[in-house]
Amino acid sequence: MSALTFEGLGKSYGDIEVVRDVSLSIREGEFVSLLGPSGCGKTTILRMVAGLVAPTRGRILIGTEDVTSLPPNRRGLGLVFQSYALFPHLTVYENVAFGLRRRGVTGAELDRRVKEALALVRLDTYGQRSPRQLSGGQQQRVAIARALAPHPRVLLFDEPLSNLDAQLRDEMQIELKRLQRNLGITTLFVTHDQGEALSMSDRVGVMAKGVMQQLATPEDIYHRPATGFVAGFIGKPNRLHGIIASRDGAGGSLTLGETIHLSASRLEHPAGTPVDIIVRQEAIRLLGPNGPDSFGLPGEIVLRSFSGARVQYVVRLAGGVEFVAEAASNGPDAALAPGAAVRLAIAPDQVFATLRDEAGTP
Amino acid sequence: MISRRQGLLLIAPLGLVLAGFFLVPALMLLPTSLREYSPGTGFVPNVWTVENYLRIITDDYYREVIWRTLGLGLFVTLACLVMGYPLAYLIARGPVRWQVPLILLVVFPMLLNLVVRSFGWIALLANRGLVNNLLVDLGIISTPLKLMFNLTGLMIGLTHIYLPFMVLMLVGAIRNVPRDVEAAAATLGSSRLHVFTAVTLPLSAPGILAGSILVFVLTISALVTPRMLGGPTYKVMATLIYDEFMQLLDWSSGSALSFTLSAMAIGVIWLSSRITRRWAGMA
Amino acid sequence: MSETETHPGRTTTIVAWLVVIFLQVPVLVVMLAAFSTTSYLTIPPQGWTLQWFGKVLSDPGYLSAIRMSLILAFGSTILSLLLGTAAAYAIHRKTVPGAEAITAFLMAPLVLPSVVIGVAMLQFYSLTGLRGSLFGLMMAHVVITVPYTVRAALTGLAGVDIALEEAARVLGASGFEAFRLVTLPLIKPGLVAGALFAFITSLDNVPVTIFLVGANQTTLPVMIFSSVEMGIDPSVAAVSTLLIVATGIILVLAERRAGFHRFV
Repeated sequence: MSALTFEGLGKSYGDIEVVRDVSLSIREGEFVSLLGPSGCGKTTILRMVAGLVAPTRGRILIGTEDVTSLPPNRRGLGLVFQSYALFPHLTVYENVAFGLRRRGVTGAELDRRVKEALALVRLDTYGQRSPRQLSGGQQQRVAIARALAPHPRVLLFDEPLSNLDAQLRDEMQIELKRLQRNLGITTLFVTHDQGEALSMSDRVGVMAKGVMQQLATPEDIYHRPATGFVAGFIGKPNRLHGIIASRDGAGGSLTLGETIHLSASRLEHPAGTPVDIIVRQEAIRLLGPNGPDSFGLPGEIVLRSFSGARVQYVVRLAGGVEFVAEAASNGPDAALAPGAAVRLAIAPDQVFATLRDEAGTP
Repeated sequence: MISRRQGLLLIAPLGLVLAGFFLVPALMLLPTSLREYSPGTGFVPNVWTVENYLRIITDDYYREVIWRTLGLGLFVTLACLVMGYPLAYLIARGPVRWQVPLILLVVFPMLLNLVVRSFGWIALLANRGLVNNLLVDLGIISTPLKLMFNLTGLMIGLTHIYLPFMVLMLVGAIRNVPRDVEAAAATLGSSRLHVFTAVTLPLSAPGILAGSILVFVLTISALVTPRMLGGPTYKVMATLIYDEFMQLLDWSSGSALSFTLSAMAIGVIWLSSRITRRWAGMA
Repeated sequence: MSETETHPGRTTTIVAWLVVIFLQVPVLVVMLAAFSTTSYLTIPPQGWTLQWFGKVLSDPGYLSAIRMSLILAFGSTILSLLLGTAAAYAIHRKTVPGAEAITAFLMAPLVLPSVVIGVAMLQFYSLTGLRGSLFGLMMAHVVITVPYTVRAALTGLAGVDIALEEAARVLGASGFEAFRLVTLPLIKPGLVAGALFAFITSLDNVPVTIFLVGANQTTLPVMIFSSVEMGIDPSVAAVSTLLIVATGIILVLAERRAGFHRFV
């Protein structure tokens, strides 16, 4: 049974179309992220679901109920803001109690549920503090408790972790995921951080320029990007200028520099189109210099960079074209030195081509 | 998040009140100013004329009143600037512990009733007022100095009334001058005076202009203080309007004068906002 | 203060304090006159007395003028707060087009000379029979005080993050509840300052009120204005002193409760 559905959701401001025909169905208890660069429309979608922005087109259903024309206070949702939006003039306790009071919960029942929510985020003893006295991470947790206390049907997050420092962000990702799992609450999470989206979600919807590029599990998004944008946005892509040399069925061949030729198994544009060629760093295999000439692209290692779990190599090919390849730092390719001759093997289904302005920019 | 309809409902009551009790009455002065008034019999029916406006420009008496009003405005503005700037500077750049007390001391007379303040000056400067009594008692003079119910008394009184406005606007302007720019000038060798004339003064110019415009417009519009302190013969535009409406009952002339005064006030404000915008564009 | 920061020199400081004294002088003189036994002022005064206060507080003319002033001040302040805050909210949320033009219109009573407002309303009230009515006076005072409450409300609203109201809505609050429970408490200090300016503007007003009072009613400042024309009477000084003390108390309260100096 779908807990949250939107059909053909669209939003325009005058001539500018911010969200175009987005549809999505989230199952009960599922954690779905909307991922994309700023301006892609993900926050607008979230705000339409919350009722803070009216859609120009489309419908929003919670369960089987069409809530598209309902005001935000009657949708039974929880929303955690990027800025937390805690009420500065109320204590932590009163912040968490706010939603409960609006629903007519009072007395001992109110007290029990506020304490329960605070316990969920491990802030049991902070009830009488004022939001000003809390750290960023603590404010974040109060915001979560406040959203959860009224037992919403769906939980919405608007880039809640952006304002936290890196280590705290990692901790909160795990804590949020665990919380969501234990409560089994349907969650829609908006973020521009791909690591966050991939690690927390059951499914990820990648968005660019108001359009849903791909909606799939994190593994599929990562290993089987459906469009050039997704390929360029997720992971660590090489992005090089090239041209489609020829088309052959669904795919064809590409030319980089003047002498480098790559086969791609899926192309969207005709021969002769100038494109950005995208190849993931992790998708490049390093082979020894010897072997049949037609297998792999010969080149030389120019730079080696160690970054903990991975090693990166800058490899220069004929004509000055350079690729960055990545390998595990405890694997067989970990110890190649600059100057070493190698060959690069790139499978055709790992090669993507997009129009020059389409590829996802960070 | 609130609908267009709710927004209109929220703003309508105030809109209606202002439209009905401000806009309409003000506009209704216009037809009145175009009618002819005959003393003793009232408005001459069915006669429309611009005589009232012409008279303002051609009649010597009216012209004198207008020039006097503008001149007074100019003098008071200058006096407020000269007296207000040091005080504003002290508040903005002086010891922090003095700031709140100083601001309260500036605001307090401003909140005080205009009539009370004018009365205070009368008590101080009139022929039998405090200053004259003191000087006579000390034997410095034998007859009282005429300090009140004339131009002198009026200028002092008006300066006193509008000084707090100037000070508060200047404080804002001086606060906006970045201290590090001043410090930079100082470390480059400027004397304190030079830092002031080369950095602080020019950068606080928009505030000086804003404060001056405010004081100027308030001064030329003033009714109470000129009437109390200027004496029966010394008229400015506002007191003339009062007389024409309340005593001479020449409402058409009074209305024409009212529009003229309003046009002056609005014109000055509009002009200054053009200048400020040009300055902002140059910054 | 570091050495590289500029601060006022000795001349500036002295001049500044002299100006401060200049600002207080008439106030002190009035209070002096209120306690003096003679109807002319000397330094030092000939004698001290409270008789003028007694005279004022038992004079029915003064008492009714005080009552009228207070009615107008409280009434117009409350009305201005309600009307002005509502309008400011609609403007702030931009639910009505032309926010800038509307704001300028609401501020217009500040720009137009008070005497012009006074005579315009005089004519209008004469034609509509409102001259001398309490309702007419009250509306006139609303017109001149509302710019202060609108400005205070707009400033206050600008400082409140809209996300707070949105959070309240999603948590189940209706539009009005969100305003009442979240926004209003946060703009209250600004509204208090605006109300104070409005109250004092009404209490003080002469240029508009003087054209509109009827035969049997008057306000305190208009009454003082008229009696000064007849000479220095210490009872005028006494009632003025009452006003001074009241203003002082209000100012101190406003500073204590709402940090008033931040709003000027």
